[in-house]
Amino acid sequence: MFARHVSKELSAYCNGELSADQSRHIAEHLLVCQQCRAEFEEIKLGVHLAGLLPTLSAPVSMWSELEARIDATSAAPAAAARPVSFWWNARVAAVAASLLIAVGIAVIWIYSRESRPFWVVAKLAGAPTIGNSAIHDEGRLALGEWLETDAASRAKIEVASIGQVEIDPNTRVRLLATKVTEHRLELARGRLSAYIWAPPRLFFVDTPSAVAADLGCAYTLEVDDVGAGLLRVTSGWVALQLHGRESMVPAGAACATRPVVGPGTPYFEDASASFREALTRVDFDSLQGKELDAVLEIILLQARQRDTLTLWHLLARVEGTARERVYDRLNVLAPQPQGVTREGILQLNEQMLQLWKDNLEKSWGGPGVLKKTWLKMWTGAVGKVKGIQEKR
Amino acid sequence: MEQRAVMSETKIDERVIDACRQGDREAFRLLFETYKDRVFSIAVYSFNGDESAASDVAQQVFLKLMTSIGQFRGESAFATWLYRMVVNACLDERRKGKRFLSYGELTPMSRIEDRRPQEKQFARAELAESVKTAIAQLSPKLRMPILLKYMEGLSYQDMATVLECSQGTVASRLNRGHKELAKRLGHLKGQIGVGE
Repeated sequence: MFARHVSKELSAYCNGELSADQSRHIAEHLLVCQQCRAEFEEIKLGVHLAGLLPTLSAPVSMWSELEARIDATSAAPAAAARPVSFWWNARVAAVAASLLIAVGIAVIWIYSRESRPFWVVAKLAGAPTIGNSAIHDEGRLALGEWLETDAASRAKIEVASIGQVEIDPNTRVRLLATKVTEHRLELARGRLSAYIWAPPRLFFVDTPSAVAADLGCAYTLEVDDVGAGLLRVTSGWVALQLHGRESMVPAGAACATRPVVGPGTPYFEDASASFREALTRVDFDSLQGKELDAVLEIILLQARQRDTLTLWHLLARVEGTARERVYDRLNVLAPQPQGVTREGILQLNEQMLQLWKDNLEKSWGGPGVLKKTWLKMWTGAVGKVKGIQEKR
Repeated sequence: MEQRAVMSETKIDERVIDACRQGDREAFRLLFETYKDRVFSIAVYSFNGDESAASDVAQQVFLKLMTSIGQFRGESAFATWLYRMVVNACLDERRKGKRFLSYGELTPMSRIEDRRPQEKQFARAELAESVKTAIAQLSPKLRMPILLKYMEGLSYQDMATVLECSQGTVASRLNRGHKELAKRLGHLKGQIGVGE
């Protein structure tokens, strides 16, 4: 499957030295090759670190010291040029000027292509604006700039060379970062649809109630006027997180978000309306006692095999007898594997939670290679989910 | 950083270079002011933070530049030509041996940091200090491509010209350099927020 690994090209990939086709090839390989992706993470860290290296200031005395040395040097630089005729100088100057101009143009072109701090935006309908200016056919979204659509406008953003984002009407987005190791957009309100073919965790969308981290996928994300959001994943996986609270959302599933609280519990969209309504109440209504018991009952009764996605996340989000009930139902739907115990799960033992989750994945959309590798990258999720429970 | 390099180079056009060929001191001063910090920085990192040795080598480079600029034919970018001179001067100086302090004796790089009030923010300065130390510990073969890439913003092609090797070798050395940095400073990953 991995006919040719790409480890040799990874620095060039991170440094933007490759063509768009080469970059896409590398990105696609990284999606399916764990070995190269591990190397990519290492090199990406090295690139980040090297980028922190500051240019130092030469001592202020250097020029005066240099001048003294020049004066003391008998060989004047002009002497080297003096024997050369005026016409020879003129010809050299002309050639040098042409070359310098050509090199300068090439440098600027390469720089603007490979390190451009903006994304290209195409108008799809109406009159989207960047800043205060309307886009005609195409515009540039620079770092810090807002792209806004009204009720009749739509636009499409080329996310460097890693994907595309379509902006729906009445949406406001801002470009926060674009570099080889991170591309970040802010969605203040409205809806966007992202299709990203980059390696996991290169493309992020900040919203008022969560950060969506792409894991190689397609999804829509919307935010209302008070900052509440809804993520719907159509392929791959997306991680939602805020202040250490994290939800993993696979294809076919959705997850609501709320300011302050962060991401709710993910659920498959074909779950019943009452299941979804009950889940919203558990996530965001701070229910306790009998009220929580009653709402939880709806979820547990209606949970199907694939709703173990929801139940697994819920384990860390409820406490006491509520957690015991979630465990019991989960254990009926998908019996705990060897190495997992009731006590361990109730105490949110990270290794046991992870082990059980690995077994549950099959019912969350098939054990595809991509999903397996993406999930394995999500090694910190269990700990984060546990952290939430401790805060609550 | 790359942007800074490109912008600075735009000041040095053919007229400035030609004036330098004619011995124009002001033109040479402009050239010096444009490149002095970057030439000095490469030398400092090459000599493990020994500023005195770095300053001396930087001056040698500019002296040589002044006397040999007539040989610059514009076949490569001026900066590429200059950095080749810098790299050769640093390597020559290292070959001569003991002019600079060994790593264990080097002048603390934090003194350099003290001159940079814009980088006073403690955590960032500490991080930069760790990176500088790690860079200084790299072998010259791995360090030079890192410096040329991240301080000068050179392309792989230009680096290959400066270092007189193939682009593949440049890529390979950068790969090893990046990995070495990640290995030495992996514990700082949380501080720089990679992938968060």
